[in-house]
Amino acid sequence: MARSRARAEDFARPVRRVLVVGLIIFLVGLFALWRIDNPRAERFRAMVVDRFVPSFDWAFVPVTAAAGMIEDFQSYARIHEQNQELKRELQQMKAWKEAALQLEQENAKLLALNEMQLEPKLTYIGGVVLADSGSPFRQSVLLNVGARDGIRDGWAATDGLGLVGRISGVGANSSRVLMLTDSSSRMPITIQPSGQTAILTGQNLPRPLISFLQEPDQIRPGDRVVSSGDGQVFPAGLLVGQVALGQDGRLRVSLAADYERLEFLRVLRSKLANTIDDPGSMVAPLPEVQGPQLPREGTDG
Amino acid sequence: MADISTTRCWRLRLLFVLLAGLIYFVHLLPLRTGPGGWPNPDFVTLIGFVWVLRRSAVMPVWLFAAMVLLGDFLLMRPLGLWTALGVLALEFLRSREPTSRDMPLAVEWSMVAGVLALMFAGQALALAIFVADQPRFTLIASQFVLTIFAYPLVVLATRHGLGLRKALRPQSGALGIRA
Repeated sequence: MARSRARAEDFARPVRRVLVVGLIIFLVGLFALWRIDNPRAERFRAMVVDRFVPSFDWAFVPVTAAAGMIEDFQSYARIHEQNQELKRELQQMKAWKEAALQLEQENAKLLALNEMQLEPKLTYIGGVVLADSGSPFRQSVLLNVGARDGIRDGWAATDGLGLVGRISGVGANSSRVLMLTDSSSRMPITIQPSGQTAILTGQNLPRPLISFLQEPDQIRPGDRVVSSGDGQVFPAGLLVGQVALGQDGRLRVSLAADYERLEFLRVLRSKLANTIDDPGSMVAPLPEVQGPQLPREGTDG
Repeated sequence: MADISTTRCWRLRLLFVLLAGLIYFVHLLPLRTGPGGWPNPDFVTLIGFVWVLRRSAVMPVWLFAAMVLLGDFLLMRPLGLWTALGVLALEFLRSREPTSRDMPLAVEWSMVAGVLALMFAGQALALAIFVADQPRFTLIASQFVLTIFAYPLVVLATRHGLGLRKALRPQSGALGIRA
């Protein structure tokens, strides 16, 4: 009997090896596909995540709330309630301060320009944070609203005060918000009093870096940072945070949104949603600009 | 091979699926949404390695690949890369299972540590070849160290929680049957 089993194993072993090698080839192919046609692979990922995570909706929210309460209880013991209240009041106060600043600037602008057209107020969709990225390698959260609720790729998400990130990956019942701190996040910003534009570069650190800044001398820590609206990545004028000087002497932004514990997010409906559909192409001079065509146009005219 | 009944085998496989689901669930809980914090040891891979070194029949390659691939999808890892490395490592360990039966834990631990080191190095190399985003070195190094130190814990939990031990004295048993 043992001998017959051994013979069966001898027979099965090459077949098994072929299957394992096939599996590894499939997985490596999947990785290559992920790298080569990333938007398609990420859409596939969004579908898979949408299949699994929202079905545990009933467990995620209560467990998170309970764990949060236990955590608060441990650190603040009896003054948990007071502390929560203070935090809420502080957040409200920040919002009021922000409103006052914005009104002041708006007033100044209106005084300066008589014919000023205000953009229609951005409307929003509220969503509960279901899950995070699951590791400190990626900075994103999963919301419980998706394509069914009208969410589209590229829309901005705020926590009511400051910008948190943009929608990147939409499933039917869930959508992923890529946070500004993620190492693949880049956003165009304006630094307020000087009006300089720059790019905010996420680095997986609490404070993203300000890069491509033309004149760093004009920037001081504490300056307001808002989205610039360039490249149609975000609507203009959304609060991002304040300029801060990092320990390494580089200019960073301390974000206005409370990133530590995100519970609810507002997804701003905006018409200009710059979606990423293709793997992208080289940044190169446009073919029309190249030499020989210009004289021909000149002779025509 | 015949030392574990089919129902027990399938029960353990079901338990692996449940454990993997629970581990991903805990990882995904949005307790700290901001940057910072420690990476988690890769418990799903570790359970796969420990079980394949105890009872290789319990951990078929398709089940391991399916659960680790689910982790690739859910935890925003590059799709397929970690699973491919994990399958390679699992098959290597499966081939070593008979010789590792009389290994002391320290030797087995260092063998798994070496395999994990190769896996992390392979991941970094593949990401470099494909010019993909490399995670920060301190993060990946701390995950590597935490995963290695979690290995004896998984071994202890397997031994005392599930009663899954290495097949002891395989020669006498096999000889007994054969004789």
